[in-house]
Amino acid sequence: MDQKKDVALIHYLMILPGVGFIILFLGSSIFITVAQSFGLISVTGTSRFTLLNWKTLWERETIDSVLFSLKMGVLSSVGTLLFAFPVGLFLRKGGAGKRFLASLIKIPLFIPALVAAFLILNIISYHGIVNEVLLGLGFIKEPLRMLNDKFGWGVVAIQIWKNLPFVLLIVSASLASIRDDIIDAARNLGANNWAILFRIYIPLAMPGILVSMILMFIKAFGDFPITSVAGPTYPPSIALRMRNTATLFQEWDKAAVMGVIIIVTTLFMTWLYSRLAQAVEGGNP
Amino acid sequence: MSRLVLKNLTKKFDDVVAVDHVNLEVEEGEFVTLLGPSGCGKTTTLRTIAGFYVPDEGEVYFNDRLMNNVPPNKRNTAMCFQSYALFPHMNVWENIAFGLKMRKIAEAEQKKRVQKALEMLSLVGFENRKPAQLSGGQQQRVALARAIVTEPDILLFDEPLSNLDAKLRVQVRVEIREMQKRLGITSIYVTHDQDEALAISDRIVVMNQGRIEQVGDPHTIYLYPKTAFVAGFIGIANIFTGRVRERQRNRLLLDAPFGQVWVQSEGMEARVGEEVRFSFRPEDMVLYREGMANRIRGTIVHAIFMGDSTDLFVDVQGQRLRARGGNVAYGGDVLKFRPGDLVDFGVEETAFRILI
Repeated sequence: MDQKKDVALIHYLMILPGVGFIILFLGSSIFITVAQSFGLISVTGTSRFTLLNWKTLWERETIDSVLFSLKMGVLSSVGTLLFAFPVGLFLRKGGAGKRFLASLIKIPLFIPALVAAFLILNIISYHGIVNEVLLGLGFIKEPLRMLNDKFGWGVVAIQIWKNLPFVLLIVSASLASIRDDIIDAARNLGANNWAILFRIYIPLAMPGILVSMILMFIKAFGDFPITSVAGPTYPPSIALRMRNTATLFQEWDKAAVMGVIIIVTTLFMTWLYSRLAQAVEGGNP
Repeated sequence: MSRLVLKNLTKKFDDVVAVDHVNLEVEEGEFVTLLGPSGCGKTTTLRTIAGFYVPDEGEVYFNDRLMNNVPPNKRNTAMCFQSYALFPHMNVWENIAFGLKMRKIAEAEQKKRVQKALEMLSLVGFENRKPAQLSGGQQQRVALARAIVTEPDILLFDEPLSNLDAKLRVQVRVEIREMQKRLGITSIYVTHDQDEALAISDRIVVMNQGRIEQVGDPHTIYLYPKTAFVAGFIGIANIFTGRVRERQRNRLLLDAPFGQVWVQSEGMEARVGEEVRFSFRPEDMVLYREGMANRIRGTIVHAIFMGDSTDLFVDVQGQRLRARGGNVAYGGDVLKFRPGDLVDFGVEETAFRILI
């Protein structure tokens, strides 16, 4: 009996550093953020409960930032997936150059987002390589605005470049787990390539597709470095606005509201993912 | 339904010749088994018929149509895989209906045919289950239903029973055979299990190292093996080489390592002094009775009780021979044998087969 207790104690001690750290720092900072958004535990003024900070939700600028970040989240996750899926399919079977391609595509994984943003900056900026070459060749009279464009395509492009290997890793793992004889069986039963793609590959890779899209969304939605370098001058992403609100305007309580928005959106997406995953795995029409 | 013709079929993987100039004709509605050890080319042959491989040489015909470059999805074959290869994300109904959907069969007709297949394979009530919620035997039946529902020209089986336990295997192979007879679909069945091949086939094609060793009905394959490989692979055989000492019309006297035996020559043109390979089955090595052509005296080395029979390992002049006696038919005589016993066995001269 005593020995059993000892083992249980050791198990708790083993998980303590990891779990304890999360509970202590993540839990406390989330608590403080939420509290500050209601004017409590304020770092700038007197602490007292108020809903005033939340009025920022109705301000045009906040709404623009949230919408912009949502747009970046959706476009980046969909875009990355569209690029990663065909590569994953190729890597599943492979042919000549499979290993080379697999290593080549992992390079962005080792480059920090900010560095990646600056790398791409050199290529697509107003006086970047692409514009200079096009100008030099006489294809265009004036440089194209590819960076800091109003829509945010520059951000999406960098997000895709940066996160392709990450999404590819997840998607190709779920594609690789599909057994060859299932594909053979489908072909044998009369399925052409399109039918195999839509009825076999995509549904069977769906758990991986979902998880990579959600993670990608969360990354791009809360992104700070890439939008700050390559994003439009207006609106800033919600993370960028949060930073500005706190450090430029010294409105920490209002910034906390934006922090809560990011957290809540992230939690909502995670919940959505678990619902979707459930529907995919246990779903019967 | 189709007639299947393979002409000089050859398939190589890099330098390895997996299938080597195979010629075979399978009649409409016939059940033919490709039998051989792993790596003999039987599965490659099957997958070439299905269209997963393009032959390097030779031709595949369904009736008179050359199929070499027809992709698998346009061949109208249906394959049962060793792993069943059911679609894990679809329920039983969707799995069975898949081939019909791909053929763009009308919804009402689909329903009718799937229902019929469900009834035929006693799967009614399991329509909404996912493959993971079924037992191995049920998964196997779903795979069968999925195959037959498309009314294929040729049914292809790739060791479909090897994942089932022994009892279920016997039961399902009977079901497969009955269903195939009822539907009359030309069937090619791959297995390495000789009992299965003997039990299920109209004809057996014994393959070894990419080549066909012998084609024949189960009876012929077992009783009249042509090569040492066939004699040794199907059932148990005593295989020896002997020199012809004497020749009388249709019988030969051979000097075998375990003594002299009289053997029927079956039209063999063996001359005195030549060496011939021959075989005989353990069940043909019986207790010696007066008047038998050959008497073989040996010492029992092992006697293994098998329930309905006893397997004997017999030492005859330093050679190891196998004998098998039915425990009931022989009045329990074989049950009495103990290692070390000296026993007189007899083998009729008609029991010997001269091998190529």
